Amino acid sequence: MSFLINHLGDFGQGVLVTLGLVLLGATGSMILGTVLAALRTSPIRTARAVSSAYVLIFRNVPLPVQMVLFVFGLPVLGIQYSLYASAAIVLVLYTAPFVAETLRSGLNTVDRGELEAGRALGFGPMGSLRLIVLPQAFATVVRPLGNVFITMVKNTSVAALVGVAELTFLSDKIAVDEAQPFIVFGGAAICYLAIGLAIGRLVSAVDQKVAFSR
Amino acid sequence: MSTVSLFDPAGPRAKRRHLLLEVITGLVVLAGVYVVFKLLYDKGELSAAAWAPFAEPGLWALLGQGLWNNIAAALVGMVLSLITGCLLAFGLVSTRTLIRRICRVYTDVFSSIPLLLLLYFTSLVLPNYGFKLGDFWFLVIALTLYSGAVIGDLLRSGILALPPGQAEASLALGFSHVGTLRLVLLPQALRSMSPALVSQLIILFKGTALAFVLGGYMELLRSATVIGQYYTRSLLQAQFVAALGFLIVNIALGALAVALERRQNRLTVREPLPATAADPAPEPAHR
Repeated sequence: MSFLINHLGDFGQGVLVTLGLVLLGATGSMILGTVLAALRTSPIRTARAVSSAYVLIFRNVPLPVQMVLFVFGLPVLGIQYSLYASAAIVLVLYTAPFVAETLRSGLNTVDRGELEAGRALGFGPMGSLRLIVLPQAFATVVRPLGNVFITMVKNTSVAALVGVAELTFLSDKIAVDEAQPFIVFGGAAICYLAIGLAIGRLVSAVDQKVAFSR
Repeated sequence: MSTVSLFDPAGPRAKRRHLLLEVITGLVVLAGVYVVFKLLYDKGELSAAAWAPFAEPGLWALLGQGLWNNIAAALVGMVLSLITGCLLAFGLVSTRTLIRRICRVYTDVFSSIPLLLLLYFTSLVLPNYGFKLGDFWFLVIALTLYSGAVIGDLLRSGILALPPGQAEASLALGFSHVGTLRLVLLPQALRSMSPALVSQLIILFKGTALAFVLGGYMELLRSATVIGQYYTRSLLQAQFVAALGFLIVNIALGALAVALERRQNRLTVREPLPATAADPAPEPAHR
């Protein structure tokens, strides 16, 4: 059991790095995803095409491939960031299309009559978007968006592929060093479960808060 | 999915503004393309020398073999996880509380552990217990552990979404509980969940790229890396081709999922449900 105490620090470090990636990934993909969804629903045809092309490409190229291409391929072109930053960037690039699609499906649930009613009551296009459409759209997507982020928690492990010392990477290292794979991987699994559950709880709480329209 | 227009039809002034914005976005896109092109050109990534290795058929054979290894692992993993998924779904709708609890814990745990962690686990642990399997089977087992849990949950919701009359009629006709599940409920659940199952296949296929960490398994990403080691000039090109391979297969599978969904919507005649009783359809897990 002594090895557990020796590696507790490493383990904590791994959890912190994973949590950092989750936080950066969620924030970044929320921003990029919102931009993509806005472009996708805009009346400008070129913007819509750009957004669809982005979603098509970045959703369908597997995350490991994007990660390896970004970390081992792009330095050829002189584009190089620290491993941690690269992992966060790739995570954002990969998750944003899912966020965008979810937000768009939320916008689609808003009835057209709502817009017409807003129009009749004298709301301008921006006012009706801000006060009528977006609140309802966001309220319906809280849960699906939570699922996207829970999947993203699992996807942070792909950063181990390029050597970011996050939870999965460190568990593998410790498991090899100590030849105690069951305990180490079990511990890591519990950590991932806990993070996932915490996000699930958070999402439920937010969902209850915004559930005014149903 | 069609997008509902959030805006009123444009009048003449708005049309002019949209045209202007259209031109500006076009210019921005063109500028972006030019910057990327210039960067690639200046570094010589578009030169004939960098692409020269791709004239050799052996290299394409290596890449093709890599892609095939990905597809094979995904397909075998899919078959195995369909089997475990069916068994799990039986357990999840079982009338025995204990069986239901155990299956619920399994699905919840294994669907929230990263695939890579499972892959590390199988490749480290199985050899210690005398399973001298190849990397292929480590990958397939990891995929099955994860995906079986997800599919079990999918099929459970598929079975529960069926009208209760199906099970009642089947029991009244003298089918056993297992027979009802196997012959009446499961086939319908498999059919109604087929788009989600194809989406799951896409997830599996993307997951096979994780076998890159095993080092010895020549999947497409590893093939590209090996090519990059031999022809150091062509690393980026090889990775690009590999990404393209994944992209094409995934887009094809995605189109299949959409087509299945269309067919489903055409075939099912929905009874109008009262709004309160309508359960929201399970989100297809598509990532």
